[in-house]
Amino acid sequence: MPAPQSDLLQGTLDLLVLKALTLQELHGMGISRRIAQITGRAFDVKPGSLFPALHRMEQAGWLTSFWGESETNRRAKFYKLTKAGKKQLHSESERWERISLAMATALRTT
Amino acid sequence: MISRLRALWNSVFRGKLLDRDLDEELQAYLELSSAEKIRDGMSPEEAYRDARRDMGGVEQVIQKVRDVSAGAWLDRLVQDLRYGVRTLAKNPTFTVVAMATLALGIGANTAMFSLLDQVVLRLLPVSHPEQLVIVQETGNHYGNSYGPNTISWPMFEDLRDNNQIFSGMFCRFPATVTIGDGDRAAQIPAELVSGSYFPVLGVGTPLGRPIAPDDDAVPDSKPVVVLSYSFWRSYFDGDRTIVGRTIDLNGHAMTVIGVAQPGFDGVELGAPAKVFVPIMMKTEMTPHSDGLKNRPRRLSWVTAYGRLKPGVSPQQAELSLQPLLHGILEMEAQQPEFTRNTTAADRQLFLRNRIKLLPGSDNELRGDMRRPLWLLVALTGAVLLLACANLGNLLLARATAREREFALRLAIGAGRARIVRQLLVESLLLAGGGAILGLALAFLADRILLRVYLPDDAAAAFVVSPIPDVRVLAFVIGVTLVTSLVFGLLPAIRGSRTEISLSLKDRSGALSAGGIFLRRMLVGIQVALSLLLLVGAGLFVRTLRNLQCLGPGFPTDHLLTFSINPSLNGYSDQETKSFYQRLNVNLQAMPGVASVGFSAMPLLKGYAWQNAVLGKDFEGAPIEEQPVLSEIGPDYFATIGIPVVAGRAFTSQDVGPAKYAVINESFARKYFPGRTPIGQRFGLVDEMNPVNPDIEVIGVVPDRKYRDIRETPPAQAYFPYFEGVHFRFMNIYLRTQVDPRQLEDAVLERMRQFDPHVPVVKLQTMDEQIGFSLRTERLVANLSAVFGGLATLIAVIGLYGVMAYVVMRRTREIGIRIALGALQTSVIAMIMREAFVIIGAGLLAGLLLALSLASLVRSQLFGLNPRDPLTFIGSAVVLTLAAGLAGFLPALRASGVDPTTALRHE
Repeated sequence: MPAPQSDLLQGTLDLLVLKALTLQELHGMGISRRIAQITGRAFDVKPGSLFPALHRMEQAGWLTSFWGESETNRRAKFYKLTKAGKKQLHSESERWERISLAMATALRTT
Repeated sequence: MISRLRALWNSVFRGKLLDRDLDEELQAYLELSSAEKIRDGMSPEEAYRDARRDMGGVEQVIQKVRDVSAGAWLDRLVQDLRYGVRTLAKNPTFTVVAMATLALGIGANTAMFSLLDQVVLRLLPVSHPEQLVIVQETGNHYGNSYGPNTISWPMFEDLRDNNQIFSGMFCRFPATVTIGDGDRAAQIPAELVSGSYFPVLGVGTPLGRPIAPDDDAVPDSKPVVVLSYSFWRSYFDGDRTIVGRTIDLNGHAMTVIGVAQPGFDGVELGAPAKVFVPIMMKTEMTPHSDGLKNRPRRLSWVTAYGRLKPGVSPQQAELSLQPLLHGILEMEAQQPEFTRNTTAADRQLFLRNRIKLLPGSDNELRGDMRRPLWLLVALTGAVLLLACANLGNLLLARATAREREFALRLAIGAGRARIVRQLLVESLLLAGGGAILGLALAFLADRILLRVYLPDDAAAAFVVSPIPDVRVLAFVIGVTLVTSLVFGLLPAIRGSRTEISLSLKDRSGALSAGGIFLRRMLVGIQVALSLLLLVGAGLFVRTLRNLQCLGPGFPTDHLLTFSINPSLNGYSDQETKSFYQRLNVNLQAMPGVASVGFSAMPLLKGYAWQNAVLGKDFEGAPIEEQPVLSEIGPDYFATIGIPVVAGRAFTSQDVGPAKYAVINESFARKYFPGRTPIGQRFGLVDEMNPVNPDIEVIGVVPDRKYRDIRETPPAQAYFPYFEGVHFRFMNIYLRTQVDPRQLEDAVLERMRQFDPHVPVVKLQTMDEQIGFSLRTERLVANLSAVFGGLATLIAVIGLYGVMAYVVMRRTREIGIRIALGALQTSVIAMIMREAFVIIGAGLLAGLLLALSLASLVRSQLFGLNPRDPLTFIGSAVVLTLAAGLAGFLPALRASGVDPTTALRHE
């Protein structure tokens, strides 16, 4: 069952996008697809959240974009991690691991 | 950083392009998404519909992206501005009233502030003007003095050559000289300057060269002159070949060596000099007095300036100069000039004199103007505050009327912050519009004000630029921001608190009671401020009236006056004497002239010749107690209209070696108490020579004002002019049979025929002269009256608005009361009671405020107490009547409410 969008924290979405782009540059649909894939279909990111996030992250300097050709031979906009984006991914993942560890510990406590 | 800036740039200026890109990107997404769904087995139509549904609308996504993009806030601001302009345009009456109120408030403030800035605050246009100081010697100088800011020439030299604290010192002396000959002869203000003047000031000469120390080393040696830029333009038409030519000053050929930089008119702001001459040419420029060559130490006449070394404060400099001054004073106290007329006690006092450093841009004119101008700035501040209160009131009323609009916007999802911002943007728009209008208004007003305030030639030199300078502009922007925040914030916060359900439900709920307390309070504040301004206006107008009614003690109508100085044309004492005697006869024969009076010292010009006197049983006195003296012609008393109460006045037969005087009653009381003054003798104290009391009193006149209209007449003595030895400038008074203004042209023509080389100076009627001397009082009185009237008008309109609103809100209640049989009068009384609560509270606050502030203006008043009961009560009565009327009209309307319509209405 896909999680409702509103449950996605902003930081979570950013982290997922960054993660999705680590292997290769992707267009919007590709990012969405990849996130679904790596989260085992737990997250289905809708365009209404995805595109604002992509633009925000581009302005923050984590991503760059360029126009390329999609697998259906259509002009599409591709996104790519920048150096700053990789750094961000690194620090965000560490933070996230700390939080999830803490959460898990907290929830296990009876 | 750079990529962020580029993103901002793109989103602001390339918004359209970005939207197109985004659109294409989203289309691509849709296609890819539906292609995927087709691959999963959907039909193409179904897949496309499904993809679109997933997306939730292309437009919405674009909007969301726009919201996060870097320029979003700017985007929204433009939106708010556009919406604000549209709302304001929809209600033009409100917009015009609001902007006009603000324009008046801001305009009046700006006009006053820039007048203050130009006249009082501005620094000299020289390099680092803040380093310049005037070196003043405080305490009694025990000698003759040209004013508090002057020291003697030898004192200046001693200070200049021995101080360690200034990077340079210079001195100057203002003089009036005659330029040219024949028809173009004119008297112009000149500045006699030491050789260090231009270098220390750092003033250059775009044409030629400045006066250098070399030009100022030996008396009478270098007849050179530097012209002021504006004088070069006006008198010589900007002739570039002027350098090297000679011009005629006081009949001496002087070589023009340069033209000073534009904007520099000497060091006395408000009294522009037209030519600069080395001070070593003093004998040529002021033939009647020297002070330079024989180096008298008991005559102080030059104003000394110093330039502080960087990093040295005036306090430090002052401290380090005291020992130097003390040494000079010790030396001076040994000199016979000093010891001759002083006691040991005087010497002790003299040695306590100190150096005081004043800001270099100060002068006496500025000192006189500072208080009245700050006062007017304060008054305009009150007007602005009142305008703000009024606008706040208007905006509150509007916010109430717009509650439905706000409720609607809240209901469809606008944030409260957005509504507050919207209202602030609107008030900022109003304030901005008001500020621009106000600036235009201020520019116009300042040109008029400067002309009223300064003598013609000085006013012309004050260039009021249409582009206000940075300080004024900063002031306006500050005022605008503060006002828009003050009047915009209250309604904004209230507006955002609107209860959606209540406001949308029905009309009776929309007229909520919440704003009314605030609005009453704002009107109360307006009433209080109006009272303050009315009281001020009353005090100042009555001060002016007192001064005007008072008069000098002699009839001032039908009196024409001018002055001349043939000695500036190189005429000898003998020639000048003959000139005056022939002129006296000539003018007496002039048609329309009843009689002619000559006086060496001018009447009511604010200064006088003072000298200590001594007699058998009295001797010298400090300057404040010295009698005022003058030398006059035969018919002076008859012309001015002063009767001779004992003895006789001078006649043209009073010639020869005998020395006579006519004294006034104060002089007689002070120096000859209990004796018949006629036949008594006295002498004038002279630092250089021993004095015999050999001047005989031959007549007594009553006390009349001499220096200005405010003074209590001083002790006075007159001597016959034509008996003297030296002949210099002369003030001529003509008692006319017709309106004196009709004679002005004839007098000029007659003087030109009499001697075309001697220019007529300051030809004016006595009433004009007195009027000019009261210009500060008139300016304050007129402006405060205008401000008071304006304030009252605004407050009355404000009260009317609130009372009309109260009546509208209570229409139903009033209808019920009338239906139940309430009389018309009791309805009126009910509404009026409410109005008078506001008026009363405002009056009380205003009275307390006025009483506590009144003593601040004491020095600006004449002939009445700052807490003058008549003015206070009068202002309160006027305000109550005006405000009462504003309350009465809505009350009257309330009493006419038809109960059936009122009840059906809701």
